This record gives sequence, C-alpha cells and structure tokens, in this order.
Amino acid sequence: MSDLDRQIEQLKRCEPLKESEVKALCLKAMEILVEESNVQRVDAPVTICGDIHGQFYDMKELFKVGGDCPKTNYLFLGDFVDRGFYSVETFLLLLALKVRYPDRITLIRGNHESRQITQVYGFYDECLRKYGSVNVWRYCTDIFDYLSLSALIENKIFSVHGGLSPATPTLDQIRTIDRKQEVPHDGAMCDLLWSDPEDIVDGWGLSPRGAGFLFGGTAVTSFNHSNNIDYICRAHQLVMEGYKWMFNNQIVTVWSAPNYCYRCGNVAAILELDENLEKRFRVFEAAPQETRGAPAKKPPPDYFL
Amino acid sequence: MSSHFTMGAQDNFKNANNSMQRVKVYRMTEEGKWDDQGTGHVTVDYLERSEDLGLFVMDEEDNETLLLHRISSDDIYRKQEGTIISWRDPEFSTDLALSFQETTGCSYIWDHICSVQRNMHFSSLANETFHNVNSELRELPPVELSTLPSILKTIVDSGITDQLRVTELMLHEQDFFRKLMQMFRNCENLENVDGLHLIFKIVRGIILLNSSQIFEKILGDELIMDIIGCLEYDPEAPHVHHRNFLKEHVIFKEAIPIKDPVVLSKIHQSYRVDYLKDVILPRGIDEAIVANLNSIIHSNNAIVVSLLKDDNTFIKELFARLKSPATSKESKKTLFHFLHEFCTLSKSLQMVHQLRLFRDLVSEGIFDIIADVLQSEDNKLVLTGTNILILFLNQDPNIMRTYVARQEGVLFRVLVQNSLTDFGDDMHSQFLDLLRSLLDSSYTQKDTIVEIFYEKHLGQLIDAIASSCPPNGDGQIGSKAVSSDGRSRNPSRVKPEILLNICEFLCFCVVHHPYKIKSNFLLNNVIDKILYLTRRREKYLVVAAVRFVRLLIARHDEHLMNHFVKNNLLKPIIDAFVANGDRYNLLNSVVLELFEFLQKDNLKVLIRYLIDTFWDQLVKFESYSCIRDLKVKYEQSLESTGTSSAGSLLEQMERIDDRALQKEEEDYFNEDSYEEDSASAQTVSTSRRQPRPPPVIASGSSQPSPNRSGGLVDYDYDDEDDEDYKPPPMKKTEESNEDEGLTEFRLKRKLSSKEDPEAKRLHQSPISLKTRDGAFASLCSTLSQAVLPSKKTETALFNISQPDSDQTTTSKISQSDSDKHSTSKISQSDSDKNSTSKISQSDSEKSSAEPNIEEKRSISSSDESQNAQFENQTDIKEAP
Repeated sequence: MSDLDRQIEQLKRCEPLKESEVKALCLKAMEILVEESNVQRVDAPVTICGDIHGQFYDMKELFKVGGDCPKTNYLFLGDFVDRGFYSVETFLLLLALKVRYPDRITLIRGNHESRQITQVYGFYDECLRKYGSVNVWRYCTDIFDYLSLSALIENKIFSVHGGLSPATPTLDQIRTIDRKQEVPHDGAMCDLLWSDPEDIVDGWGLSPRGAGFLFGGTAVTSFNHSNNIDYICRAHQLVMEGYKWMFNNQIVTVWSAPNYCYRCGNVAAILELDENLEKRFRVFEAAPQETRGAPAKKPPPDYFL
Repeated sequence: MSSHFTMGAQDNFKNANNSMQRVKVYRMTEEGKWDDQGTGHVTVDYLERSEDLGLFVMDEEDNETLLLHRISSDDIYRKQEGTIISWRDPEFSTDLALSFQETTGCSYIWDHICSVQRNMHFSSLANETFHNVNSELRELPPVELSTLPSILKTIVDSGITDQLRVTELMLHEQDFFRKLMQMFRNCENLENVDGLHLIFKIVRGIILLNSSQIFEKILGDELIMDIIGCLEYDPEAPHVHHRNFLKEHVIFKEAIPIKDPVVLSKIHQSYRVDYLKDVILPRGIDEAIVANLNSIIHSNNAIVVSLLKDDNTFIKELFARLKSPATSKESKKTLFHFLHEFCTLSKSLQMVHQLRLFRDLVSEGIFDIIADVLQSEDNKLVLTGTNILILFLNQDPNIMRTYVARQEGVLFRVLVQNSLTDFGDDMHSQFLDLLRSLLDSSYTQKDTIVEIFYEKHLGQLIDAIASSCPPNGDGQIGSKAVSSDGRSRNPSRVKPEILLNICEFLCFCVVHHPYKIKSNFLLNNVIDKILYLTRRREKYLVVAAVRFVRLLIARHDEHLMNHFVKNNLLKPIIDAFVANGDRYNLLNSVVLELFEFLQKDNLKVLIRYLIDTFWDQLVKFESYSCIRDLKVKYEQSLESTGTSSAGSLLEQMERIDDRALQKEEEDYFNEDSYEEDSASAQTVSTSRRQPRPPPVIASGSSQPSPNRSGGLVDYDYDDEDDEDYKPPPMKKTEESNEDEGLTEFRLKRKLSSKEDPEAKRLHQSPISLKTRDGAFASLCSTLSQAVLPSKKTETALFNISQPDSDQTTTSKISQSDSDKHSTSKISQSDSDKNSTSKISQSDSEKSSAEPNIEEKRSISSSDESQNAQFENQTDIKEAP
C-alpha cells in the first residue's frame, strides 16, 4: 500500500495527517491543480456535490449514498472547510483523493477557500488547535489559490460555487482570470464564488452578502444561451430540501451539508449525472450523532510556565 | 411535595430507551421461591389522587398494571448485582423484586427511589421542601450518598434563574465542594461506580454553570485534582487516567528554579485548566465556558510573567546562563525553550508592559542569542527562535528593525540565509515572512533596513533562483549536498517550494519598494534571472514568474517597461506560453491575463514590442479573443502614430540623420558582436543572423533555432529523472506529448536558455532587420492601412490643430508612443526622468511628421553601458 493510500485510509477514519505529510500532499496537489483550467472540463458520468463545511461524518454519509471515489466520479463545488468540526480532515481527504485519482475527482473553489474567511469561520482555529501551529492552515490556503474556479460537464452543464458574474458573460472570458490569488473583493473571480440567483431580481442586483451579485432569470437565460449550455449547477446557499431548481430549470442549487452547522435540520443532496446526463438527485441525512468521536487535543508533555 | 424534579425525571425517563425500563417482576411465594409475575416496563409516577410516588410496572403484552408500589421512606430497598432491586413489601407482606434487563435502568430507578426517600425525610424534617414549584430554591441538599441524585437534578434540571440561585447556594455553602470531593474520594475508595457516575454528572453540571467564582474554588490547588478525578468517571466513555497522566507523565521543567509559591501555583493551575479544557472536556463545553477558562489562564499568565519580569535576579540569571560558555548545550536548549514560553506568555500582559518587557529583553541581548540559535543544527531550536522573532515583530516591528539596522550584522544575514535553507518539514516560509515584516513599507523607520536589504541581501535571493534554474537546456544543477541534520545547504539547489516562496517574496518587494526595485532590478539582470524560473519544469514556478512580471508591469513605470523592451524580457514568458500550447491551465490563463492587462491599460510600449517581436508565435493563438484584442490595440496604436503629422521639415531631417547615425553604430556593433560570437565558439549569434525559418517552426522562439542534431540541446530534459520531482499522474500528459508542435515549442524554450548568462549578455547584441522578416511583413501590411487618414491624433499637446482629434485618449498614448520613438535617447539618460520626458515630447513631435515608421528593436539583455546607444532604434522610412 502506497503512502498515499495509507493516508487516505487514515483520513477516512477521521484521523488528521502529520504536518509533514500535509506539506508533501499539498505540493503534489499543486502540481496537479496548476494544470487545471479556470473552467475545468469534466466528463459524465459524474456526481456533483455542494457545500461540505467540515462536516466530515456527513461527508462519509455522502460517499455511502453516492459511492466511493474512484468508483464514482465526483465534482465538489467548494466550501469544504469552516463551520464544521473537521475541516482539516474533510479537506485533506478530498485533496488526497484528488492527488490519488486526479481524473476521478474535481475540486473547485468556494468562497470559504480563502485566507480571510477561514480566519473568521473556524478553519484557522481548527488548524491551530489540532496542530499547535498555523503551518497546516498555510499549506491548505496556499493550495486554495490553485483550485479551479468552475467546471463544464460535457459542454452542457456549467458548475460553479456561487454563480454568474456580469464581467464574464461568456465562458471564454473566465479563461483570462489569474486565479492564483486570494479571493478578491470584487471582479469576476469574486462574483463566481459569491453570487446568488434571486427571483425578484431582473438582471443584476446588489448582493446582501457584500460580495458578488444577485442575478435574475434573464441573466441566467442569456448566459445559458450564449454559452450553449443546458443549465447551471451551483451550491453556496442552504436549501432545506438539499436541492432547488430556479428560473424554469435553468439553474439548480445543490447543498451537501445535512443538518448544517449541526443544527439547521436540513437534508442534503447530491446530483448524479449518468453518461447521458440524465439527472438523479440523491437526498441524504446527517450521520447519527454517536458515530462522531470527540476530537481531543493531545496534551503537551511538558511545560515551563 | 417534591413534584418538580421528579416530574422532570419521570418525563425524561419515559423518553429513555425502552429496554432500560424493561424488568421482570418477581414475588416471593410462601414456599420461599421467587415466582415470575411477568415482564413489563417500570416507571416512577404519582399514585392516583395522591402526592405520593410509586413504582409502576406495566405488562409489556397487555399493558395491564403488573405492579404498583408506593415508595416507602423506610430503608427497605436493596440493590443486588447491579440489576436487581428487592424489598419487603408492607402492603403485600412479602418480598418483591425487580430484575432489570440493563444495569443503567436499574441504577436509574435506584437513584429515583433514593431521591424520593430523601425528599420524604427532608420534608418531614423541615416544613418546606428544598425545592418547590412555586418557591425558589432555599437550600442545597446536604452532600450525602443518598442525596447525590437530587443534587444532580437540582443542578442539571434547573432553569436559568434557578442556575443563578444554585450557583449562589454552592458558593455560600461553606464546604459544599470540599464535601463533594470527600464524597468522591470515598466512592472511589469503595469502588462505588454508581456513586462515581453520579458525581461525574454533578461535576460536569457544575462546570456547565460556567461561573467564574465557582471555577476559582474548584480549580484551585486544593480541589482541582479531585475535580479532574471526578471527570474520569464518565459513564459513557472509557475510563481515562487523567490524574495519573498529570502526576506521573507531565514534566514541569524548571529552567531556572522559581521560588515564589504564588507563581508556582499559577503555573500549575494554568496547565491543568488548559488540560481540562483541551483534553478532558473538549466537546462537552461551549464557547462561553472555553472563554471563561481561557481568561483564567490568561490572567494567570499575566501574573506569572509580571512577577518573574519584576524579579530582577531571575532575568539576569536567565541571560547570564544563556550566554555563558560554561552552560551545557542541553541546558541552553532548555533555557531557550523557556525563554520562548516566557515571551509567548507575555502576550497576556498589557500592551505597554509587554513592550517594556521586550525592550528589556533586547537590552539583555535576546537578539544576539536568537541569531546564534538560528544557526544551530537543531531544527526545533531554530523554529523556536523564529517563533520568538515572530512575537517581537507582531508586538512592534520597530524594535527588531532598529536592532537590525543598527547591528547590520549577523541576524539579518542569518534570516536571509535561512530563508534559502531547506529545514525539511519544520519550516514553511517563516524566514521570508519575517523579512516581509521587517521590510513592510507601511511602517515608518524603514529606510535604513530596506537599504541594507537591497544592498547586501537581495542578491543572495536572486542568486538562489538563478543557480537553481537550468542555465540552459540542461536540467542538472549542481550537486546535492545534504548535511547531517537533513538540511540541504547547497545554495545552488534550492527546493522548488522555497523558490516559490522567494518569488512571492519578490512580488512583495515590487509592491512595497517600487523605487528600490527600479534601481535594483534594472541592474545586474535581476529580472532576467528571476525569469529563469520559467525554465523550471514545475509549472507553478513558471506561473509565479509570470505573476512577478505582471506586478512589475502594473507599476506603469516607463523605465521598467522600456527595460523590458530593451532586454526582451517578455521572451521567456512568451516561450513558456507557446510551449504550453493549447493546454488550458493556469499558465495559459496567467499569460492571457497579462495580455489582457496590457491591452486594457493600453501599455503601448509593451504592446508594440510584444506584437512586433512575437506575433509570428502568437498568431496561432489568434482564436483567443484577448490576443485578437491585443493585435487590434497594436494596430490602433500604429494608426495613431502613422497619421500624426505636422512636424517641421527640419525635424524630419534630424530624425533621418539620427537614424543614419544609429544605423552606423548598429552595424559597427553587429560586427563587433559577430567577432565575439566566433571568439566564444558558439554558433548562437551567427545562426541568429541567418534568415528566420518559416514561422511555424520559429514560433517557439524569437531566438535562433539550431537544428537538434547540432547537439546543443539535450531534449531529454523534460523526461529526465530528478529525484526530487515525481510528476503526478496527469491525464493530459499523453495528449500533449502527442502534439509535435508543442514539443517543438518546448524545445525552443529550453534552447533559448542554453547559453550561460555571461555569454548571453555578449551575444544578444542588436539583431538585424533580416531576422525579423515575419514580424516585419505583418507590420508593413498593417502600416499600409494605417497611412490612410485617421481620426486618431498623436498628441494633445502638439496637435491641437487636428480637427478630429480624440482628445481623451491622446495624451496617454502620446506619452508611451513618444517614449518608444525616442528610446535611443532615453536609454542614454535612463536615470534622469525629467530629461526623458522632455526628450520624448520633442521626439514625438518629430515623429509625428513621419507618415510611416518602421521599428527595429534589439534583443539585448542589458549590458547597459555598452548597448544603450543603439538599442531600440527607430527607423523611419518615407512612405511609398
């Protein structure tokens, strides 16, 4: 069994890797991700997953429902970290799978894959708590910069974490984004990761999130038309039923963190596409409470003060 | 009666797992045998029309009452084997027994019976019950084994207001906690597991009350170990021997003996509270409790550090020992780790005190000690040293800046050196981060240190890049030397991740020290060397180099841009881009973004240079809209230049004379370089002179492309083994290798870097027009259109008379345009900005008279003094 396979097994047990292993893994991942495009091409069949947010045991439920990687191809739409108790293990498992099966799993960036956001919503603190230093946080956030921004499935389904940007009415315009940077506060890259579809908006509107835009049905229709795609698949917003169509089936939100923040009471969903792009939503619930081991910190063996 | 808590308990119980309540009821027959009465579920409930409580067992089959027993206040109940409760029933006049399926169910009911009994005693002793639905809590139950369940209920089931009351009562009751801990020790001695489980729940409940005053009591020296002991008995978790760990395994290291008992007590308490928070209760407590516990630790730390720092002899002794040659290596290590912890804890002091402490530490010589430690072989020690420096820089960077600026010596040098050293997994980019903090321009007092850095240390970083990149097609650089501590110290072989960090650090420099960058990067081929990174096979390094250039260009600095043109600095980037072919990856995006930026900001100098020099390579990427846009911008810029008019005849003549002169010089230098070429026995420069091969082949490089059989290139570079580098399995690799065209481009890229820097400088002398046929042809065709009347004007300043002038765009355009036309003069006066702009104005005036312009630019890598005169010449020809 290779080191990587062993690490994957370890991560599947929700045991974090050593700092040195994280470093090596991230370097390998960097080599792979740098070769990916801003609009990464993905072949069907593939299973699309929305936000995970460090809910490791719920992600294991996801794999139970969707099948293991690499038997099933996966596309994760970002927001792997923050809020849940196991951002480290969640992201590292996905990253290890990416390095092990680069063609079988696609990871794109969510708005939480950012230095600024993770310092507020938990990933930073979690790394500090679990490793005693912020090095792992730095390796991971450095890798975030290399993550692709969106995916295009069989030229027909555009997948992105947040939504559309008025700056990139065509997919070709996404090509000229230098994505290797912290998520900016505005501009196309920011919008792709932050925007939301909104019924009452016609065209484009200000987002209450303070970043990205709200976009309405006409913006979606026009985008889908000019890029010759069937629909947009995105995540970024909690939907209690796990998934939600909008604008006459032109855009769907997929949410994969059941009982979000361990208290929202929602179910989660993944979208399975077969080789003919036939859709099947799989809805699942949170892992039972008792399957969660309590994360405890290893005590330092000595102290001066 | 005691309705409140029993009701609650009963509700809870009903919700509990069914199997927990499952019992068999036995009755003693007259023959003295136990007779099975049936199986059912037991509950504690009120008897009908009564305030008294009883045990109910409902038959699980027909739901009929199997047993109804009024709980007696007399001591008639016995618990056996953990699953049986039996008693002599006064009503039935015989023995009854409940046999539980589960021990937990048995304990639960047993606890209930005990608490009901206790309440009956209590209410008979006092008129009031200790707790009534309508009245508030008056008193806590006395701490006895039998009252533990009711204490638990009181704590756990109380509402918010009751919680406050409970807290108050606990604090008032003199010996409540002490008695509880006494009870714990008894139970532990007697191995009374049920009691221990109850006490565990009580203690956890007490902690969840989150009262600072309670914490103060229970986490003090006297009780804390017992409290931790109680928390070992979680009925839902395996027993963990926390006390054993704390007593036997944890080592309290005294680097310097601490005499003050207050300090010692605080130190131990902090560790234990931390342990409690992080190890024993990490999931059981909420953020408010964590915050409360942290504040205990925080204030302890403040006290400890305060008392120690005010103890003059203590600090003196610490530093004396650290500095003394008599101190053993091992104990120095210990002392240094202590020093680190001391500095870390000082974060708990008030800002002003911390600052004063740090200043004191500096005057004691802490930086000298750290500089020493940073050169140690012990990675952990080095890491500790950097952590102390980070503390200092976070507190006030100027303390360290002042020191470094004044001392000039070891520490700064060590920081730079260590930033290039591979510490294995112990270090990420700490040293470069430290340098960043030191050199951050948003602080004042920076100048000296920035000066020192650029003067003395920047070169080392640049050299590290240069020597770690293949100087030519050859991938093998230097030999790998790994010292005994596992660090690679060979500066000529820096790990790729370190190169990446350096490149990002240089980006920081571009942003923070624009002027320093200008003066430093224009000399010594610095940019050129950094661009060696594009020869590395790790694409993230190539991408990093492009980003670096992008940041430089974003400075909008004419000098820099001319420098780029003059030295053909975009060549490595274009080569990398072309070699990358149609692969849509980060490199592709980054370069296209750069093009888009040039186009949007209309950086004419660079646009012209780019299209003039590389169009035959870029033309195959014309399908990208941003490349088309760039071409359009280029044509527009030519157009506006072409139609600008109204220079005097005299100026035209001067211009032509200039040109003639330059041509002479050029010829002269061409010959010169020809000689050098032959002298250096390399064919590079001569082959450059040969007619350019057809564009398809040449598109990889604007440099000469000797045939592969020439043996200049070891094309195996891409495939050769590099022990440090294992390419990940990539799906696209095969595809790309199949693409002959791409391989060809990559070959060119490698080729272009074949020469060593010195040779390159000599050989890259001005090129003749002939070598650039392709670009020239396209230029001409563009120009022939551009001669036609145009609405664009040349300058706002000089062409006011133009009727259709597009005033808004012109001033900017003319600036950059004029620069270009006057580059020969600019390069002579490179350092004098004012004179440059003057010249360019007059020049643009001149050029505006010209209907048609050809340009020729040398591809020179900047031996400025030598090449300045003839670089970037502008040839002007009469229009047909």
